[in-house]
Amino acid sequence: MDDGVTSGSVDSSVSVGRSVLRLETREKLTGAAKYIADLSRPNMLHAAILGSPHAHARILGYDTTAARAVPGVHAVLTGADFPDGRMGAFVKDEPPIAQEKVRYIGEPVAVVAADDEATARRAAQLIDVEYEELPAVVTPEDALAENAALVHENLADYFMVYDAIRYGNVLSETTLSEGDVEKGFAEADIVVEGEFETPAQAHVAIEPCGALAEIDDAGRVTLWSANQSVFRVQANVCESLKLPMSKLRSLTPRIGGGFGNKMEAHVQPLVVQLAIVTRRPVKLILSREEDFETVRVRHPFKIRMRTGAKKDGTLVARDTEVILDGGAYGDDSPGVLGYSLLMSRGPYAIPHARAHGRLVYTNKIRSGAFRGFGNPQMQFAGETQIDEIATKLGIDPIEIRLRNALRGEGPWFLGQKLASNGFVECLERLRDDEGWMNRKAAAPKPGKKRGFGVAAGAHISGLLGTGAIVRLLEDGTVVLNTGAVDIGQGSDTVLAQICAEALKIPLDRVAVASPDTDGSPYNWGTTASRVTFTTGRSVALAAAEVETQVKALAADMLECAAEDLELRPGGFVGIKGVPDKQLPLFVVSLQAHWRRGGPIIGHHSWVFDRPAVDPKRAIATGMPFRQIGVYSFAAQAVEIEIDDVTGKTDVMKVWSAVDVGRAINPASVEGQMDGGFVQGLGFALTEEVVFDQGRIVNPSLMDYKVPTALDVPHAMKTIIVEAREPDGPFGAKGVGEIGLVPTPAAIANAIADAIKARLRRLPMTPERALDAMLPPEDVDAS
Amino acid sequence: MSDGIDIALTVNKTARSVTVPAGETLLETLRERLALTGAKRGCNQGVCGACTVSVDGMPVRGCLSLTANCAGAEIVTIEGMATDGMLGRIQAALEQTGAVQCGFCTSGMVIAAEALLRANPNPDAADVQAGISGNLCRCSGYRTIVDAVLLAAADGRD
Amino acid sequence: MEFHRPTDMGEALRLLAADPEARPLAGGASLVAMMNARLVEPTTLISLAGIDGLSGITEIDGGVLRIGAMTRHRETASDMRLSGGRSVLRRAAGRIANPVVRNMGTIGGSIALADPAADYPAALVCLDAEIVVAGKAGERRIAARDFFTGWYETALEPSEMVVAVLVPKTSAGSVGVYRKLTRVAGDFAIVSIALRLTAENGHCTELQIAVGGSGPAPLRLPQFEEKLIGRPLDDLDAAALGRALAWISDPVDDVRASADYRRRVIPRMVEDAYCRAVARLEARS
Repeated sequence: MDDGVTSGSVDSSVSVGRSVLRLETREKLTGAAKYIADLSRPNMLHAAILGSPHAHARILGYDTTAARAVPGVHAVLTGADFPDGRMGAFVKDEPPIAQEKVRYIGEPVAVVAADDEATARRAAQLIDVEYEELPAVVTPEDALAENAALVHENLADYFMVYDAIRYGNVLSETTLSEGDVEKGFAEADIVVEGEFETPAQAHVAIEPCGALAEIDDAGRVTLWSANQSVFRVQANVCESLKLPMSKLRSLTPRIGGGFGNKMEAHVQPLVVQLAIVTRRPVKLILSREEDFETVRVRHPFKIRMRTGAKKDGTLVARDTEVILDGGAYGDDSPGVLGYSLLMSRGPYAIPHARAHGRLVYTNKIRSGAFRGFGNPQMQFAGETQIDEIATKLGIDPIEIRLRNALRGEGPWFLGQKLASNGFVECLERLRDDEGWMNRKAAAPKPGKKRGFGVAAGAHISGLLGTGAIVRLLEDGTVVLNTGAVDIGQGSDTVLAQICAEALKIPLDRVAVASPDTDGSPYNWGTTASRVTFTTGRSVALAAAEVETQVKALAADMLECAAEDLELRPGGFVGIKGVPDKQLPLFVVSLQAHWRRGGPIIGHHSWVFDRPAVDPKRAIATGMPFRQIGVYSFAAQAVEIEIDDVTGKTDVMKVWSAVDVGRAINPASVEGQMDGGFVQGLGFALTEEVVFDQGRIVNPSLMDYKVPTALDVPHAMKTIIVEAREPDGPFGAKGVGEIGLVPTPAAIANAIADAIKARLRRLPMTPERALDAMLPPEDVDAS
Repeated sequence: MSDGIDIALTVNKTARSVTVPAGETLLETLRERLALTGAKRGCNQGVCGACTVSVDGMPVRGCLSLTANCAGAEIVTIEGMATDGMLGRIQAALEQTGAVQCGFCTSGMVIAAEALLRANPNPDAADVQAGISGNLCRCSGYRTIVDAVLLAAADGRD
Repeated sequence: MEFHRPTDMGEALRLLAADPEARPLAGGASLVAMMNARLVEPTTLISLAGIDGLSGITEIDGGVLRIGAMTRHRETASDMRLSGGRSVLRRAAGRIANPVVRNMGTIGGSIALADPAADYPAALVCLDAEIVVAGKAGERRIAARDFFTGWYETALEPSEMVVAVLVPKTSAGSVGVYRKLTRVAGDFAIVSIALRLTAENGHCTELQIAVGGSGPAPLRLPQFEEKLIGRPLDDLDAAALGRALAWISDPVDDVRASADYRRRVIPRMVEDAYCRAVARLEARS
């Protein structure tokens, strides 16, 4: 295991850079860890939903008589029983439950609370809802057609958090440009052009979504739920139920994976309303099928891209046009559109670039945040085209990327300067990796075509508010409170490592408080690869505030100037250069309690504030973000074998070089890269939510296939590159998403290497590959 | 016999009796009646493997086993895998390789991997991949889980 | 719902006959999943777990292997008496789902459900196996090719149950291949090929090929197979048989693959399975 020695400037590291054991591993290994479905409250009721059978219909009425008559049923609520508030991160367009009309198949129209889950489920099926079917728009093409039925008639009236361009079924239209793209193409010696299509992917956190709400005698609600942000839960519930935020306390149990699915609301508004009505605790856990049908999916993208290059491989122009299928509600979609367009130029210095996209409402399940946030889709197109250019010009795929890589400060597309940039090092370390260099040493298996593919990418870490409170208790131990939800990726441990490092105390003296909207500093959420970078920074600076206060008090006690003091490993503060003049932190903390009336508390809050757009360089309209974050980089290479007979692709090996600024916990970095890659592998090869007239055809793990242990390579190597980020804690940047950003493209490029044909549609099934492999006359052999 | 079937079984070496409806799954009985929530409901269709428990020495799906059909059975769940605070060999190895992320698949994974090692004490990576192929993990990418099982096997040989 | 766990077959059959909505419960791998999803709601469950003699593999007259209905996939997948041509069945059993589900699922339960994308049907048809079923009138034997009659349909009468599968001896020197294409490991087949081959002096003496996942029931063309007998192994156009099988196939368009792809890949997989069988024969000699 990594010994934590890195090229960094942190001396005598006590925690940072070490693959320390996750804090909560033991409880997870013994089955003791409590997830939402494992929680129970006295007198608790169990809830179940009834979903819409129609993609688009007006609700004419409800008959709940039969459901209410079922013994053990305590409440049956329909849209008529809910306040008419609306929620949404970018656009407030979503009611807590379907009201007046339904907009997708599966949308909850009624909810039942009963003594047990089986009774609730049975009763829900007895609710009779009368509908008047409306014409449904189930594809973006339908939705963009003239006279298309409107998914939201009142779009223009909805509150939006940014200056959106919206019309018809177009929820958001964004245009970004830098340079003069037509001039760029005029200068190009070679232009590649293509249409790319990616499907809806389901998150499939192994834990389905669920929530438990309990109301107290004063009418205040406590809500536990599977979530990625206790604060987004609070905001969504209170907006949609028109509840004062002070009346809702949002908490979190352990989370069984998220990947974006649990960032915004799922069933939380439903259980809160049931708890308010029944005055009893209510728990609702979705079945796997309901989780597929009612939560959210990765955006289907249609991408039309053109890239131009000089004969020597210098990229000169890129033009990107995208349509995102947003589904029935806005959710995080405007952000996904804006962000994916910002990624459309990739980590390259292409002087002329333009990107235009439309986000379209359809009568399908909402699309939303999913690891990568539109970036894997965009890089599937962009990195394929760079590979095509390299192939056509006979340039090595790593070499062409090195030739065009953003170096130093960049800037990124639209003008943001990069304070840290390890992209070139990622490419070089990948190129020079021994395994990669000797990749052709062994022959491929008989009956298989072998291919190697490379792709790269960058991804931000940042966005929106974060904070930390570090409390030094009387005995010298520390409680760290950030409000950041550890969804299984390991942020509790990483934040504790940062805190321990900053205070030079052993890790076991730091405890991490569970997120609580009553007591935690604001945290927008576990999303956007942001927790290590933004929250970690707040932790480091809150700890620095503790250090300042400790020194002030210790200076008094040791009769010296605060500037002459230093923190020493093991939990001491002492006079620089005088080894025996020191105090244990607990002595200082005790003094703080005696003399200052309480513990030393450091607090820091922060939001990344460097603008994404430099108006002198670029034009951006309809952009939902003003500022984004800092950039992590990755280069990924894969070896695949494709079956001559069936066209099925097996991924044999993967190498990833990733610039994370500083690996606070190298094993966790590898874990994120491995897991991200495999989720990308699924997206590339096997996963697709299939719709038929808006109905999900495969809402089960029987029919929706995520990779098993047999479908992924055991040979997965992560090469950690550390280009220190000045804004990051100990130089760290995020790593949560970047593992899958290049993956579909890397696999596609490897397939192209093997079969000498390009696949531009995901998933790259045996069927699509065989179509591309066979000469046309063979296709009709049967 | 329709209103409840009396079933005596042994769970983690403790004798238990329950009265269950015919259609109740072992997973429901463990979680709802016996407060053993380590086994998880991930799909209720036998695909994800998060509910895997051991019945008479054999790992099975808790969600596909009917409690009524388990009379006299010896059940072991994740709660029974550590003894006196000492982790079992698979658990200890998973800890060592840092394989546990969200933890939702972990209970089932431990039970499946333990059975794999009992059947084949000297597996290679491909054997391990096959052995745990019925237990989905969406976080780890499986590498560290496979490494953990190999490590546990190697420790067993020492 | 009532639950019964009879200890003899007669009692089980009486219970089955007494309630048209009764379902025998074997391993539960499919039935309980369907009950959980409310796809089936039987009023009576008849557990077969308490009936002696329903489980296990025994050799009976003429070297026939009798596989009890309650035999788990794990057992079938590891019984080395299923060797030579009969290894088709062993290999097919080993490709069902995953090790945990193979501990639960039974051959009787699987074939009674008759999912056309499941692994046993093609293997049993390839092996000219017989299904032993029991009903009020006693036992009868049904050839595997007559047993699977349609999408999830079998020749079982409502009050009958599968008791065993009889796998006849295959010719000395025969080899078996089971080729299965899936999206991910353990999934149901997009297409599966069960093939056995026997040869003498480099010439084919027997060839049996069944295709699964490509229609309501396994596909097989015995007359076409006959025509290939006597051909030199290196000049036997297995793909032609594959094309004929594709021609008679009736696959579906579903989330696993299109019907068109299935038709296209059948001849390719048949040819490939044949080549593997030849390689296996050569490796043996």
